[in-house]
Order: sequence, then C-alpha cells, then structure tokens
Amino acid sequence: MNTLIAIAGIGIVAMIADILRIRKIIFPVAMAGLAIAAFTAVSDWNTNTRYFNDMMFFDNYAAAFSLLIVVIAIIWFVMAVPDLKTGNHYSDKSALVAFSLAGSVVMVSFSNLAMLFLGIEILSVSLYVLAASNKNNLLSNEAGFKYFIMGAFATGIFLFGVALIYGACGTFNLQEINAFVATNKSDLSGQMYTGVLLMIIGLSFKIAAAPFHFWAPDVYEGSPTTITAFMSTIVKVAAFGALYRLMAGCFSQINEWWTTVFIILSVVSMLVGNIMATRQSSFKRLLAFSSISHAGYMLLPLLTLSDLTGTSLLLYGAAYAFASIGIFSLVSVMSENDDESIDSLNGFAKSHPIKAILFSVLLLSLAGIPPLAGFMGKYYAFYAALKSGNTSIVLIAIISSLIGVYYYLQVIIAMYKPTGHTSASFRFTIYQNIVLWTCFLITLILGIFPQLIIGWL
Amino acid sequence: MIFLSVPSDYMPMAIMFVVSIGFVLTTIFVTHLIGPKRKSDVKLDTFECGIEPQGNSRIPFSIKYFLVAILFVLFDVEVIFMYPWAVNFLELGMYGFIEMILFISLFMLGFLYIVRKGALKWE
Repeated sequence: MNTLIAIAGIGIVAMIADILRIRKIIFPVAMAGLAIAAFTAVSDWNTNTRYFNDMMFFDNYAAAFSLLIVVIAIIWFVMAVPDLKTGNHYSDKSALVAFSLAGSVVMVSFSNLAMLFLGIEILSVSLYVLAASNKNNLLSNEAGFKYFIMGAFATGIFLFGVALIYGACGTFNLQEINAFVATNKSDLSGQMYTGVLLMIIGLSFKIAAAPFHFWAPDVYEGSPTTITAFMSTIVKVAAFGALYRLMAGCFSQINEWWTTVFIILSVVSMLVGNIMATRQSSFKRLLAFSSISHAGYMLLPLLTLSDLTGTSLLLYGAAYAFASIGIFSLVSVMSENDDESIDSLNGFAKSHPIKAILFSVLLLSLAGIPPLAGFMGKYYAFYAALKSGNTSIVLIAIISSLIGVYYYLQVIIAMYKPTGHTSASFRFTIYQNIVLWTCFLITLILGIFPQLIIGWL
Repeated sequence: MIFLSVPSDYMPMAIMFVVSIGFVLTTIFVTHLIGPKRKSDVKLDTFECGIEPQGNSRIPFSIKYFLVAILFVLFDVEVIFMYPWAVNFLELGMYGFIEMILFISLFMLGFLYIVRKGALKWE
C-alpha cells in the first residue's frame, strides 16, 4: 500500500515542480520515491494486509510483482531521463509515467474486479497520452490514436466480462467469486464462461498476445522509444501479474476450461510473433514482434496452476524486462539518428567493441541461450508447461524459439558487419551506459543464480 | 466443461437484440413515414433561434472551448463525490472529514496546476 502512495506522490511532486519552476528536482525525487517504493514493497513481505474493505490485498505475490515493477521503473527512468529532458513537457511526462506506474501496482495487488478495472484504466489512460507525446511526429500521433482506440475497445470488452461475472455471482470480490465457482462448479451458467472469456480477451490486448496483437507493431514503432520500452516491459509485467492473479484467485476451479484458451493464445502468439519478426527491417518493429512472441512464452506457466507458476512468471518477466530495457537504450540512441533500421547498425562493433558484446549478450538472453537469464526464464516456463502434460505445446515453443534465435542473431550479425553505405555515429550518454551495464549484470546474475527469484513465492 | 444452458435461456438476449435494432430502425425510417411533410423554404431552413443562418457551421473553432468544456466535466464529476459524503457526514465523522480534506486539497492542487499551466487563459 505504501508502495502505491510513494509512487503516486512522485507524480504529484512532478506536477507541482512544473508550476513552481523547479524541474530540476524531478529526477532526484523520482529516484528517491522509487527507492522508498521498493523498500516498502520489501517491508510488505509476509504482512498480507487487506485495505479499503478488501479492495486491495498486499500478499507476497503483490509485493514481489510490485518490487519487480519498481526496480524496472528505476532502470527505465535512468534510461529515459535524457530523452524526457530534451523534449517539451518534461514534468508532465514524468508525472504521467508515475501515475501509470501507480496503475500497474494496483493491477498486481487488487482483490476486487472494480480495482482491477481501475488499475488498467490508470495505467492505460496515461499511456495513451505518452504514446502521442512526440507531438510534432505524425507516427507518434498515429500511435497514440491507435492505442487509444484499441485500448478503449479492449477495456469495453473487459468491462463487459466483469459485468457478466457480476451478473452470474453477484459480487466483485475475488474470494467470493472463487467460493461461488467452487460451490457451483458443475452447473455454472454460460454467462459465467462468457464473462471469463471476455476478461481474458481484454487482458490479452494489454499483454499483446496474438490474435489481439494488431495494435502492437504500429504503436511500438510510432511511440517515442523510451515510451515503447515502458510499454513492452512494465505494462507487460503488470498485465501478466494481473492475469495470473485473476485466473488463480478467481477461476482456479475451472482451470481445465480456460487452459484451452491459453493454449491457443500462447501457440498463436509464439508463431505469429516469431515468424513476423524475421521479416522486419526496422529494429523497433522487430522488438515489437519479439515482445508478442514473449507474451506467448509467458502464457506457458499459466497452463497449470502450481507453486511454480507465479515464480516462473516473475523470473521470465524479470529476464525479459531487463534484457529489453538494455536493448531499448541502444534503440533510443538509434532514434536520435532518425534511423531505426537494422542495417544502420553496420559498423557498430568496430566503433563500440565492448558495447557490441554487451548488446549481443542481451539479445542472446532474449533468444534464450544459456547461461543467461532468458534461458532460465524459458526453462522454468517450459518445465511448468511440461508438468501440465502439454508436451506438444512445449515442442511448438521450442521450434518457435529456434526461429527467434535466427532474427536475434541477424541483429548481432548486422552489428559485426563492416560499415556499409550508412555510417551513423552512436552517442551514448552516461545514463545509457549505466543502464546497459546494470541490465547486463542482472541478466548474467539471474542466469547463473535463478534461485534468487525462483522459490520466493 | 458442461454448459447447462439451453437455447431458451438466451431468449432475453434475443428480445434485447430485437428491441435495440427495432428502436434504431424505427427512429430512422418509421418517423419519416408517419411525420407530416411540409416542404417550404422556411421549414427546411436551419433552426437558429429565429435568426437568419450565417455561413457554414463546419468551421474550425478554437481548442480553448474544448479545453474549458472538458475541465468543466472533470470538476463537475469530482463534485459528485461530495454528495454521498455529505449524506453520510455524521456517520463517517472525523475520519471522513480528514479524507475529504485530503481529496479536496489534491484536487485543488490539480486546479492550481491547470491555472498555472494557462489552460484557462483566454487571450
């Protein structure tokens, strides 16, 4: 709970800083606020407190996901601060990011469907504005508009699902819905099943799982690069946190039924994401499709609900988010040259030999090469899916991650090619160097010691 | 999974569909048929409070109107929260009072923000 208050406080301070003309304090205040938020998330461990007439429930699961979100946000902020400062509306953008973060914390700690809806809305409405924050760029405007329209539809569908479930059991409370499902397991009405399906669809939009992924490539490409990094990491982790909390907290009794839905979503996401990514020439678009495919992998642990589900989701989320943010620091440098094509990376290894190695490591982590974090994430995700007996799904996942290796290696090959017709210069700031090294170290450490995360929940 | 619902369970939804589609069709087409038709110059004129219409109505107008309207809606909705609080004022007591002070101070902060941002500046 204090995590939420600290994060909301950052947003309010950022807004006041603008009208009091003290914009300089935003970055230190954001860092301090996020550090406090991380500390309070840790101190919430094992407290299991319910707030506001059981609207929010801070159990260990909520604390772990809040902590992950806050840590990603700290690294994101360090990466994004040069970009935020150069454009207009530094304080407004920072405030919106903080409010969006507050929404993501609500999404992983709700105990009531109304709260889940509120969290999704707080997260999304800020992001619609942020996606269009590059006001003079037509693509950014298009991204904001598309994201808004698709997000509004997704919210509407989600809310329809909530309404149907309320109609079936007469409550928004997770525990009460769970109790209702448990007692009426054999004669649940079609209304209930339709409601669950519509809620899954609504959340699938947020995690960008195929076949609800069509907004993702355009929005990811058009938005300012730092915002894309935010969308593909923090939003995804928060949406998966919400999805797991919803499915495990409410509908664990009808597990066999919605597993089928998740199998389809997962297989389609993995295949569509990976196959489409091989055809991309823009690095940002490639990362968009790769994020769709990662949504597919992250759905695998959800196929069976066990002790391992939450932790493997947490590990995969951490591995994916840290590697992505490190890579997005490169993309943000590329966007300054107004050239985000993979070919523009030619000659990168010659001018920045050490950075080329670090980026290669991060890309290989996304591809799932041992001993990096991405491999351990995939290992536990596949292991969880195998335990549920979905051998053929794991086979498809392995094949599609092999396709993934192809296009991640293409980027690495492009970096190690000699300079072609383009000789773009890459100017890294100190912030991006810090982010890059941090992400590299976290990726390495989580790959070698996955038990730092596994086994906590 | 067993669906224990039979087609007749969906009867209310079918009726709902018929009613909603019927409403749209009625308002679009049937009103044309049953309404009186007097086509004179005055009847076909745009209604503007009896004043002769001037020019085209599809002209670009200042975004300021929109901004003021949306801010009005925002504060209007915020005031709605005070009604249930006022009704339960005695029951909520000091706790409710402090909560409402917090709420009002936060939203006055928002008001200060939009004033200092120049959202209400007209010139």
